Amino acid sequence: MIGVIRSELLRLTRPRLLITWFALMGLFALMINSVMFSTASSQAQMPATGPGVMFPDAATLAGAGGAFAGLSAAASMFGVVTLSFWAIAVATDYSTGLVRLLVSAQPHRWKLLAGKTVALAMLTALATTVAMIVSVAAAWPSASASGISTDLWGTDLVAQAGSAWLNAYLSMLVWGVAGVVLAVVTRSSAVAISIGVGYVLVVESVLREMLDSASWLLGTTINALAAGGTSDLSYSTALGLSVVYVVIGLVIATVVVNRRDVTD
Amino acid sequence: MQSVTTHALRRDFGHLRAVDDLDLDLPSGGVIALVGPNGSGKSTLIRMILGLIRPTSGEATVLGRSIHDPSQYAADVGALIESPAFVPALSARKNLLSLSRLRRLPDTRVDEVLETVGLTGRDEEAVKRFSLGMKQRLGIAAALLPDPQLLILDEPTNGLDPAGIVEIRGLLRQLADEGRTVVVSSHLLSELEAISDYIVVIRFGEVMFSGPMSALLAQTQAHIDLACEHPNDAPQLRSALSSQGWTVQNTPTGLRVKASAQAGAQLNRAAADAGITLNAISFAQDSLEDIFLAMTGDSDADLAQDRAQVVAR
Repeated sequence: MIGVIRSELLRLTRPRLLITWFALMGLFALMINSVMFSTASSQAQMPATGPGVMFPDAATLAGAGGAFAGLSAAASMFGVVTLSFWAIAVATDYSTGLVRLLVSAQPHRWKLLAGKTVALAMLTALATTVAMIVSVAAAWPSASASGISTDLWGTDLVAQAGSAWLNAYLSMLVWGVAGVVLAVVTRSSAVAISIGVGYVLVVESVLREMLDSASWLLGTTINALAAGGTSDLSYSTALGLSVVYVVIGLVIATVVVNRRDVTD
Repeated sequence: MQSVTTHALRRDFGHLRAVDDLDLDLPSGGVIALVGPNGSGKSTLIRMILGLIRPTSGEATVLGRSIHDPSQYAADVGALIESPAFVPALSARKNLLSLSRLRRLPDTRVDEVLETVGLTGRDEEAVKRFSLGMKQRLGIAAALLPDPQLLILDEPTNGLDPAGIVEIRGLLRQLADEGRTVVVSSHLLSELEAISDYIVVIRFGEVMFSGPMSALLAQTQAHIDLACEHPNDAPQLRSALSSQGWTVQNTPTGLRVKASAQAGAQLNRAAADAGITLNAISFAQDSLEDIFLAMTGDSDADLAQDRAQVVAR
């Protein structure tokens, strides 16, 4: 298993891939902070849980965790980026035919899948850290420009930072696993990403409108996890549901990988 | 011990039977040629051996271990399947390092295989800048990483220049002489004829021939090619020779008569008696290519038509 992870890390740590991934995370962190603070200060009406964003109010931003609010606000955006890179990492093995070499060298296919998932989870920790650093760095000038107080931001800093990072990281892992499942099933990064983005931006919004109580939906659950719980879904419930989604996703991916012929 | 054995091995893809109750015993050691027209089932057989696809029914062993658990022999088998597959943006060295780490091999093994295939000095270049021939060498290097007892190479000389083909031919012979079993699937029959000890001919997923190359070549027939001074005389000469009991067929340059070298003078006299002057008389033996075509059909187009009929039945 260690060998599989080392092998995957070597292939995944391509400078262009990582720079693009981390740059997108940083860019979204920058954008979301700018928009989030100006929206809160102007008291403009924004959808509380619109597609891809979940903005807190000015009072919350002025609280002890305000410096890290951008991480949870942009959870879906970070999630889509994560889903995309996980899907690309998996689907590329099929599109290049590399999967033939990998499976003939390591016939226990579940180990290949597990090793890739672990390697991607390690890189996602780095991506989360990049997003957090950029988010916090952007929060101060954004708060200052929007007239939102930062007096309480130093309070309980380590705990606030730790929980914000952990929640953002866990939410990205769930999105990443969704990317793996889609890529394994479709064997195409373009199709997998299209389905993922389409779900986040369209399908889940439609489902929310159609269903009376839809807080268990994937996107809503992950947003609640990233935010440390919401009024609709407590943190523990969101965490439990996320684990269920991850387990179901990994079981589907493992079954498909194990049973399907390698004809690529 | 046989390197590969199969018993009633079958693989269906929907209504198409790619491998049909295949019984095969491949010896250990030496170069084994696996030949057959496109769509004959070679790739399916290789993929089943490597654990990439599972058989519909039947049994097979690789190095004495069942193909139902490829992990039992994966460490002893190296393969180049179809075109070489690598991460284009990574260097040759990093691609090989990735595979050697997957197999838990020491990193020094990468240097050894790079030297074996002649890529030392180019190993830091991104694979996307490699020519087809260099990618092919890298593919062979990847197959050699585990220092395999059984090496399976699908079209290993694809894209190589003539000097590269000779070099790889020498390398395969050397690997076999060191005690390995080298299974080579290729359409370059002259190449296979030059280096193979054993040959398996497959068509429609069935074995047409399996045995030593020398046994197959012993089936070859001698013939004499005749070229008339005036090409228009060929039909007349053909009927004259046929009436004397010779087996004659047309060729693009004249006529081909099934006969030994000693019959040359006799054929020349027969032509003269018919009032026809010959421009050339040449003796030749059937090549592996001739035998292959006789066994498997004339072309892929013929094969596709035959196959369609078989599937329809």
